[in-house]
Amino acid sequence: MRLSGDYVFDGPREDVWELMRDPEVLATALPGTQSLTRVSENEYTGAMHVRVGPVSGVFSGRVLISDEVPPESYTLTVEGKGGPAFVKATGSVRLTEQGADRTLLEYEGEFQAGGRLVSVGQRLLDSVSKSMIRQGLDKLNDALRQRLAAREEG
Amino acid sequence: MTVKYVGQRMTRTEDPRLLTGQALFVDDVEIPGMLYAAFLRSDYAHARLRSIDVSAARERPGVIAAYAAADMGEAWQPGPPLVIPPPTLEDVVFHTRTQVPLVKDKVRHLGEPLAMVIAESRYVAEDALEDILVDLEPLPAAVDLEDALQPDAPLVHDDLESNLAAHLVQEKGDYAAAREKADLVIRRRIVIDRCVAGAMENRGIVAHWDHKAQQLTVWDTTQAPIPLRNGLAGMFGLSAHQVRVIAPFVGGGFGPKIMMFYPEEVLLVWATLKLGRPIKWIEDRRENFLTTTQERGQVHDAEIALSKDGRILGVSHAFLHDTGAYDPYGLTIPLNTQSHAMGAYDVPNYHSELRVVFTNKMIVTPVRGAGRPQGIFLMERLLDIAARELGIDRIEIRKRNFIPPEKFPYNHQIIDQAFASLMFDSGNYLAALEKAAEMIGYEEFVKEEQPRLRAEGRHVGIGIVCFVETTGVGPYEGARITVETDGRISVATGVGTQGQGHFTSFAQIVADQLGVSPRDVRLVTGDTSEFHWGTGTFASRGAVVAANAIHAAAKSVRAKVLKLASKVLETPEEELELADGVVRVADLPEQSVGLGELAVLANPLRGAVEPGTEPGLESTDYYGPQYGATASGTHAMILEVDPETMMVEVKRYVAVEDCGTMLNPLIVEGQIHGGVALGIGNSYYEQLVYDETGQLLNASMADYLIPTASEVPRVEVGHEETRSPLNELGSKGAGEAGTIPVPALFAQALEDALADYRLEVLEMPLSPNKLFALLHGKEVER
Repeated sequence: MRLSGDYVFDGPREDVWELMRDPEVLATALPGTQSLTRVSENEYTGAMHVRVGPVSGVFSGRVLISDEVPPESYTLTVEGKGGPAFVKATGSVRLTEQGADRTLLEYEGEFQAGGRLVSVGQRLLDSVSKSMIRQGLDKLNDALRQRLAAREEG
Repeated sequence: MTVKYVGQRMTRTEDPRLLTGQALFVDDVEIPGMLYAAFLRSDYAHARLRSIDVSAARERPGVIAAYAAADMGEAWQPGPPLVIPPPTLEDVVFHTRTQVPLVKDKVRHLGEPLAMVIAESRYVAEDALEDILVDLEPLPAAVDLEDALQPDAPLVHDDLESNLAAHLVQEKGDYAAAREKADLVIRRRIVIDRCVAGAMENRGIVAHWDHKAQQLTVWDTTQAPIPLRNGLAGMFGLSAHQVRVIAPFVGGGFGPKIMMFYPEEVLLVWATLKLGRPIKWIEDRRENFLTTTQERGQVHDAEIALSKDGRILGVSHAFLHDTGAYDPYGLTIPLNTQSHAMGAYDVPNYHSELRVVFTNKMIVTPVRGAGRPQGIFLMERLLDIAARELGIDRIEIRKRNFIPPEKFPYNHQIIDQAFASLMFDSGNYLAALEKAAEMIGYEEFVKEEQPRLRAEGRHVGIGIVCFVETTGVGPYEGARITVETDGRISVATGVGTQGQGHFTSFAQIVADQLGVSPRDVRLVTGDTSEFHWGTGTFASRGAVVAANAIHAAAKSVRAKVLKLASKVLETPEEELELADGVVRVADLPEQSVGLGELAVLANPLRGAVEPGTEPGLESTDYYGPQYGATASGTHAMILEVDPETMMVEVKRYVAVEDCGTMLNPLIVEGQIHGGVALGIGNSYYEQLVYDETGQLLNASMADYLIPTASEVPRVEVGHEETRSPLNELGSKGAGEAGTIPVPALFAQALEDALADYRLEVLEMPLSPNKLFALLHGKEVER
């Protein structure tokens, strides 16, 4: 399955970049994330609860960041395994400045999955993954605005 | 003897039990101390098993045992092939690779079991699956049938050079020479994809080793209890008499339940022998989609050569057949395809090259139709295209090519699924075609109704296709019939029953011979302790092979009854009549003796028995046909398509069947109705969708569309009766007939409905989306 889309953040590119490399922020942004730990500079492990239609369960997995070009782009590799399925996704993320305080995020990737999630939830997979990404990015944007507001106040 | 019940439209004697919940199904079996099994299954279609650790599962409270392949030791063996592989013939390639109980080195299809957990409840067992640590290295999968034969394709079996499982060429006459002389040669590629059988009841097993009695009892949803018993006894070093397999009421078989040994069958028996406690496993629906056998995937490059007057000079096809990850069922399905690729026609020259292909998908074994729908689809499609090219009416071109009645028995000069000569025993194909054309009103529809509807802008088409069905194959079945002391009759036969109405139709045969009501005939099927010789319920053979064995046994018992009655009544046998449960002197009806009384007299407690006689009024007899009986028929339908939504409506459906003598026309019609429903599913709704990694994308009833009452029309059934000369009852099978012609029929009717699009349907199943894609970009001729 292919995934692609874009999103506009209400903040400068450097701040968006910093936010996206902060596991604590990421953990709150990714829906269902139960834990996310940075194990090395570019690697995180964690657990996430996912529900797709009738299928739900906890995934444990690994997130790897590579081909990093701060603050422009990186490649994200996600591998997850759990009772209901396995997932493997790779995608490229690109940040482009849109004026001084807006940043365009574009993502494009491949998504592979198997197990109950696919055999029973396939019909919903596309819309659920899109809405999860959307929700996650909205949360990140909220965090970004809070951070910027705090900085102005501070 | 008068035939009073055979041929009657009797309602089924088993229905009250079934409809009031009084019938035993495997899941109804409850034994004190019973344990429950669950299986960890691979989420990958193709992967190397690097390691597996079940120890944490064993620690979970309520878990009794957890096993991976290594725990089985010597008991771990790939299954024996179910169907004997082809004899070593020149130019025949066949690589036997059979299923394994638990994955040891490599996963070869999605859902293949990796471990088994036995627990106090199914819930605990399922939870414990999550405790198992398994390390699988995913491998690229061979999924697409054609890609799987490419040189760089991932290998399903690493020890083979390619994914080629078998190769075989069949030839009749000289196709190349016939092609030279032809006025018209049509060449097309035909693609048929996979379906499930979708039985209402999933698979289920209860295995119980009673250590003190040294007796193994297995309740199984199998279509073949006796071979299952024989195999299990051999596998586990038991006497066949220590093993009892019971196939109780089964909620639909349709072929996949003939498959053995499913891994679960071996594993539950192995585990109960180890643990000494009864174990139950009932397949869930997702497991059924993933791990119950499937069918139909084939790709044909086909050709037909004709003279300009529409006579078939020859047919040729090279085809690929998808056998899935293993091939325990040998070549049965593709040989069936070849046996039906010439349809009902007198084809003088035929060339067929078969290649069977391993893929990383579930194992393929027969699903109702078993290779026949593909063969009929190929022939009927080519004939339809030829008729159009030659400007000959589709009914006319069929009439010109039928095997005429005087040519039977007709030797097709190729081998059939049993590696014997393909023989058609009898048939009257023209009669069925004419009856179907009349029932649906072909002439009137084409001349008047269709032009009128088209003028209104409606897309309504008619289809009419012919088919044959090889049925009633050997080797044999048997039956034991006993007159009980209360005058009722007890019958035991080895075939299992999955809804075919055996309890009624078989009882009708016995009732006629023994002068009782069918309601006084108690029948047991599928219990090896009641009858333990036979093979099973498959290939539309119950009403042929088992029925004739029952007929033979009933005749033997009748002879014993009359012989004894003659002595008792001091009257020659010729002057006796047997009716209403008593033997009477024909012209002195007050002189009579009841069947029950005779049964008592036949088993005396004192005195001497004459040498050479047997006690009781009982006989065991067998029937094995020389070769299969060939059923046939014509189906016709009127179909409307909405070219906006691509939704279809079957407005009328006519099925004319010739299954020889009908034991019970009501049951025959029920079989046809069900078969047509599956055929409609195979044509426009049901398709298993695998992605390129071998993931099954529609493994639920929400996504895999089985037609419902709103898609299946009322089926009008007509009958022809051409008795089979091979058996005394004159019967032929009818179990698969309903399904076989439907995809070919559906295709023709769709083309006719969308005639202005010049559509050609060369693949099955279709769907609204696929039809849209086919029509997209086509110029509409107005």
